[in-house]
Amino acid sequence: MSDSLDAYLILSGILFAIGSFGFLARRNAISMLMSIELMLNAVNLAIVAFAAFSPATDAQAQGSVIALMVMAVAAAEATVGLAIVIAIYRNKKTPLVDEYDAMSR
Amino acid sequence: MIAQDFITIAPLIAAVLTAAAVLVVDLIRPGRSGPAVATALVGLALTAVVTLSVGGTEATAFGGSYTVDPLTTFLDILFIAVIVMTILFAPDYLLPRGLPVAEFATVLIFAMSGAMLLAGSSDLLLLFLGLELMVLPGYLLAGYHKTDGFSTEGAIKYFLLGSFSSAIFLFGLAFVWGLTGTTLVAGTDGIAAKLGAIVAGEAPLSAGLAMGLAFMTTGVAFKIAAVPFHYWTPDAYQGSPTPVTGYLSVGPKIGAFALILRLFVEALGPLADVWLPVVIILAAFTMTLGNLVALTQDNVKRMLGYSSIAHTGYMLVGLAAYAAGELQGLSGLLFYLAAYAFMNLGAFAVIAALQKRAGVTSQLDTFAGLGRREPLLTVLMTLFLLSLIGIPPTAGFFAKYEIIVAAVQAGGALTWLAVLVVLNAAVAAFYYLRVVVYMFMRDPATDAPALRHGALMWGGLAAATVLTILLGLFPSALLGIVDQAAQALLGTAGIAGT
Repeated sequence: MSDSLDAYLILSGILFAIGSFGFLARRNAISMLMSIELMLNAVNLAIVAFAAFSPATDAQAQGSVIALMVMAVAAAEATVGLAIVIAIYRNKKTPLVDEYDAMSR
Repeated sequence: MIAQDFITIAPLIAAVLTAAAVLVVDLIRPGRSGPAVATALVGLALTAVVTLSVGGTEATAFGGSYTVDPLTTFLDILFIAVIVMTILFAPDYLLPRGLPVAEFATVLIFAMSGAMLLAGSSDLLLLFLGLELMVLPGYLLAGYHKTDGFSTEGAIKYFLLGSFSSAIFLFGLAFVWGLTGTTLVAGTDGIAAKLGAIVAGEAPLSAGLAMGLAFMTTGVAFKIAAVPFHYWTPDAYQGSPTPVTGYLSVGPKIGAFALILRLFVEALGPLADVWLPVVIILAAFTMTLGNLVALTQDNVKRMLGYSSIAHTGYMLVGLAAYAAGELQGLSGLLFYLAAYAFMNLGAFAVIAALQKRAGVTSQLDTFAGLGRREPLLTVLMTLFLLSLIGIPPTAGFFAKYEIIVAAVQAGGALTWLAVLVVLNAAVAAFYYLRVVVYMFMRDPATDAPALRHGALMWGGLAAATVLTILLGLFPSALLGIVDQAAQALLGTAGIAGT
């Protein structure tokens, strides 16, 4: 438990960067989905850190509410995303996104 | 005051109840599209009535996080019109392919409730929730034809880049919230006021806040498909079922511009000098690249996808004109959104009508000799394409006129942007007219008999036609409304700026 806000923000930034790198570098649709989840969790870490270090009590409560909302959105996004991945896997028989090239010329 | 708050958000409640009612009707009469469509249309009409009656008085709800003003009402009515037209022309495409209409209508109306939330939000968190509620059903709709490889391929590209941009936007939001301590957009304690203090030199601009704002801008640029954040657009538009493409090219675009109006004009209004160059560069690249790539397309849906990127560029010119001090740019942008919605939906309605026969593609060859086989549809398609070019007396002409006049009056770099808009419109005429040439002057490849189109399809086409022509002949009626909406937006921004 560090007592500096910057340490948490830097950790959040590093997690976000790892997630972005994973999204851009991985070919597997499931891995890309996991990378997006990592990015959203980095956001949540930043929000919770801001809230914990805020002197105002209503800002602390607000931070918890935002973090909960972000978790709900992340869950909804994962549901929709996995459904789409399953649908395309049935059509193409592969989870690799660089083989989804029927339309690009 | 809680009861008053719920009256203020009554349009949203009506929209969600409509979607639920369609689901229940589908449960009682499964697989029948008639009752579901009727329920959806009646519910949407009621939602429109509720929106108009609530919109008579300006109000805020839930601690100032939701605002009803003329802008909210204008955007809500526009969303309802878009959804009604999409539901009207969808069955002709969906039924021959065995796709259920009731679920389509439900998901579409849920997307609309998100767009309406977006239009009225004056709170960063609500803006984000509205955005997600609008785009998540959009991902599902893009993959609605789930046994079709193109549809699911378009859906996964739309989904992956869409949620990537949402994460970027959210990362920016976290820092803006953390460093300003508020999620409210306007008001004495809102983000606009805090940024105003920074501009006035009363508070320092921290690196984290600047980074947060940059991340949010990037996320929004993805959502409106501005170049260079547009790569998902052509595939998502070409792959989706045609009624969905029509909706995706219009609904989420209006929604994303609602987000831009609330975020850039209201919250970031004090920093207008900073983001003006960014918007100018985005607008110039977006319209030029969109039009140039559209020239090389031989699939009409993909071509209209690139053309929608170009139209985003024109709309950004209106935003830039506003930031350069010309208020007309804002009303021009709103007028453009409405005009683009009707003419573009009309064009997609014609494509959907032609695709009633399963297996018909949207390749340019499909349109060869259409003038003899489907004379009425051909004339309507020509009208919508002429409007998209911007030829008087159609809605598209006045939309471009408003934007160009605003840019010229703003002067400076904006004059050159206005010249670029005119040049781009000339380039765009080539690829729109190519479709017209194919329809009237080429011989058809096959002697397919004319199709019988449903009454709903004709209703949707009639609505799009009438609105496209009326907005061209009598633009002053809508101009009065959009001026009022723009003034309302500036009213809240003005309070925040002082």
